[in-house]
Amino acid sequence: MADSSKVFSGLRVADFAWVGVGPLTSKYLADHGAEVIRVESNTYPEALRRAPPFVDDEPGVDRSGYYANFNSSKLGASLNLKHPRGIELARRLVAECDVVTESFTPGTMARLGISYEELREVRPDLVMISMPLFGQTGPWSGYAGFGHVLQGAAGYNHVTGWPDGPPIGTGIAYTDFLVPHIGAIALISALDYRRRTGKGQYIDFSQLEAAVHGLGTTILDWTVNGHEQLRDGNRDLNAAPHGCYECRDGKWIVIGCETEEHWNSLKAAMGRPEWADLERMRRRHQRLEEQKEIDWHLEHWIEAITRDSLEPEWFKGENPEAAPERRYTSLELVRHLQGFGVPAGVVQSSEDLRSDAQLAHRDHYWILQHAVMGERCYDGPAFRLSKTPGELTKAAPCLGEDNEYVFREVVGLSEEEFIELLGDGAFE
Amino acid sequence: MQPNSRPAEHSEGPLSGYHVLDFADEKGQLCARLLGELGADVIKVEPRGGDRTRELGPFFRGSSDPEKSLWWWAMNAGKKSVTCELRLEAGRDLARRLAERTDIVVETFSPGQAKEFGLDYASLSSINPGIVVVSITSFGLTGPFKDWLATDIVGSAMGGHMHLNGEPDRGPVRSLAPQAYAQVNTQAAVGGLVALYARGVNGGQGQHVDISMQEAVTQAMDNAQATWDIRGINLSGPGVRRNAGGVPGLRYIFEAEDGWVACLAVGGLFGPTANTIIDWLAESGEAGDLVAPEWRERLSVMQPPTDEERAYLEETLAAFCRSRKKLELVAEAQRRGAGWAPIFSPHEIVESAHLSDREYWVRVVHDDLGESFIYPGAPFLYSETPWKQRGRAPHIGEDNTAVYGELGLTEAELRRLKTRMVV
Repeated sequence: MADSSKVFSGLRVADFAWVGVGPLTSKYLADHGAEVIRVESNTYPEALRRAPPFVDDEPGVDRSGYYANFNSSKLGASLNLKHPRGIELARRLVAECDVVTESFTPGTMARLGISYEELREVRPDLVMISMPLFGQTGPWSGYAGFGHVLQGAAGYNHVTGWPDGPPIGTGIAYTDFLVPHIGAIALISALDYRRRTGKGQYIDFSQLEAAVHGLGTTILDWTVNGHEQLRDGNRDLNAAPHGCYECRDGKWIVIGCETEEHWNSLKAAMGRPEWADLERMRRRHQRLEEQKEIDWHLEHWIEAITRDSLEPEWFKGENPEAAPERRYTSLELVRHLQGFGVPAGVVQSSEDLRSDAQLAHRDHYWILQHAVMGERCYDGPAFRLSKTPGELTKAAPCLGEDNEYVFREVVGLSEEEFIELLGDGAFE
Repeated sequence: MQPNSRPAEHSEGPLSGYHVLDFADEKGQLCARLLGELGADVIKVEPRGGDRTRELGPFFRGSSDPEKSLWWWAMNAGKKSVTCELRLEAGRDLARRLAERTDIVVETFSPGQAKEFGLDYASLSSINPGIVVVSITSFGLTGPFKDWLATDIVGSAMGGHMHLNGEPDRGPVRSLAPQAYAQVNTQAAVGGLVALYARGVNGGQGQHVDISMQEAVTQAMDNAQATWDIRGINLSGPGVRRNAGGVPGLRYIFEAEDGWVACLAVGGLFGPTANTIIDWLAESGEAGDLVAPEWRERLSVMQPPTDEERAYLEETLAAFCRSRKKLELVAEAQRRGAGWAPIFSPHEIVESAHLSDREYWVRVVHDDLGESFIYPGAPFLYSETPWKQRGRAPHIGEDNTAVYGELGLTEAELRRLKTRMVV
């Protein structure tokens, strides 16, 4: 079924993983031509198939947008591993695959009889990645959880929020959306090695251990200086001014001046107010000390110069005593700042992103037709390859949608056997 | 190297034998470092005075020496450094000679700048058809915002991630550890590796990878994109609660006696683990009214609680957590099947018994300082081609002689380039 002109065409993946990390890792392979088969179960449906948003707010295993967006370009198979022939079928499928991904609690695959060692017997050059939260060994290896709590253990909550408030973290299951890129790095590097040597291998992937690499200088500041970085609102260790400011249209904009050039640009964009030319505002290290005052000025300036999108532009014109000019919406103010060379942006909502001119220029979003969900929006990869670009070839699969292809053509069951197993609940 | 040539016999990672040239700032240095730790030989190219990111703090014990920036240490560990002045034609020639033997270029030039330098994909592929050029920009190489400037916070805002972070009454918030940079670096590495793999199936041809930091951040939107698409609802910063498909979520962060714990949906009091958690609280007489069969029934079938019920659930669990230590809470919750985790500060991560047991940390020798420091270790464990930390970050131009020597430059030529202020 794979298109032979694509990077990973000819590669087949048995994807036993679920929720965020595993499926988002294998999505990279699927969107670049691999035949990725989600091996799921109707008896224990994948958690995201049961998580909102659902089309028409009506729950159903084939109605979740959460699941759909992470599973473009994949095939759907269902297999009950507890059925007497479930494991045999899984092994026969893996024998026809190049890659296995899984995120079960460590020990589960071995207990079922489909550990790497066992699968390697049916597929000697197999690349297999196990990607639970905490890895295959260690005192926490049996711990359960999701990305929401893992971001806590991985340090992200500690550095996200306000210094006088709780460690709120990112508001989402953050590690689920950082770790898959590192999972794909692990997997594609192993595949390239296999391409060059013919050798497969096993990857013990701990979501925690991967996530720690996204913490910037946080770890080294402790191990080298004995200093613990702490959440600090929207401030930065190196840049000032650096913050997030509310505009009169209800949106927020950010400004981050890392260099003297950025700061000079901001001064020009503000019309060189006196406070900004004070000696104690001159250098970056000085401004880092004056952030409270700078933020006060910026908040007032932004409050004064922005307008609600429905308000007409308002110029003080002939009356010098009048209130300041309400000239810009949030996006217009950002354009004004960028025009002067100030790094600035709007805090964009999902709605804003869908109409963002730059993302539209890059064709980021794909609209795909799903059998049950209809036309839905999917995220494509963030990179464009000039010769072998990624392509979202189809919407997410319905549960077990491709059973006939997978079990008859790939595994090689006869029609009789397939029907018998179907009746016997092997694909439940 | 040729796409199908075998890696070195004494394999030092799956990418051994490949060469990476790094012209990157914050948006791409981690990308190149990760490739190096998988076995590629990575050369960082800096201007004569040193890379701008050497000015980024924090610094080693308060110094402001460009050799002592912890950002530099963290993102450039294990690389080689050469200096090369790209503003001079001779420097650009030298960079092109390096590119002749390079498999992957990682660069963060602003759109158009690479072409001015003659270091764009078209120029480099004409001298090295197998080359993969990963161009990392703030918004993309083309498009209406291509010339906009972005630092981490601008990427986090314009990519939507900040809209999901924060508190209803305080507005959006960014992570102090820059996540737009983390996102674009890791995704750029994926893009580069896909292109590298593609060489093996398309006759050894390299290609150009164009990646946008803004677009990389859109990948960190959880289910917010689907929630807008399907329900027309924008998710926004929920504070100590969760975003759950556009429905106000339940609180998941609670204060323990010695810090904080993260536990889904009021510690699992809501959902399939509800009865187990009620039993746990009841054992010490702290479950209050929740022991009543009606509560148990309602909570385990996941019928959304009213505001009043929610307040009661949260107060009950908050009181229970406040008098207990976080690791004890987590161990007991996990024993009972609920996925809790501690909220760790940096020193608690470094001192974690679990990570020690897995021998996660590596010690990196800084021979110049006569000391060694703990760095994060393998992000994943390969059975055949282990990840390997490859030493401290380089000094400015530390490898000029070795690298330019390998290019065939004689000492006299190198001296000439030095006097002409190229290296």
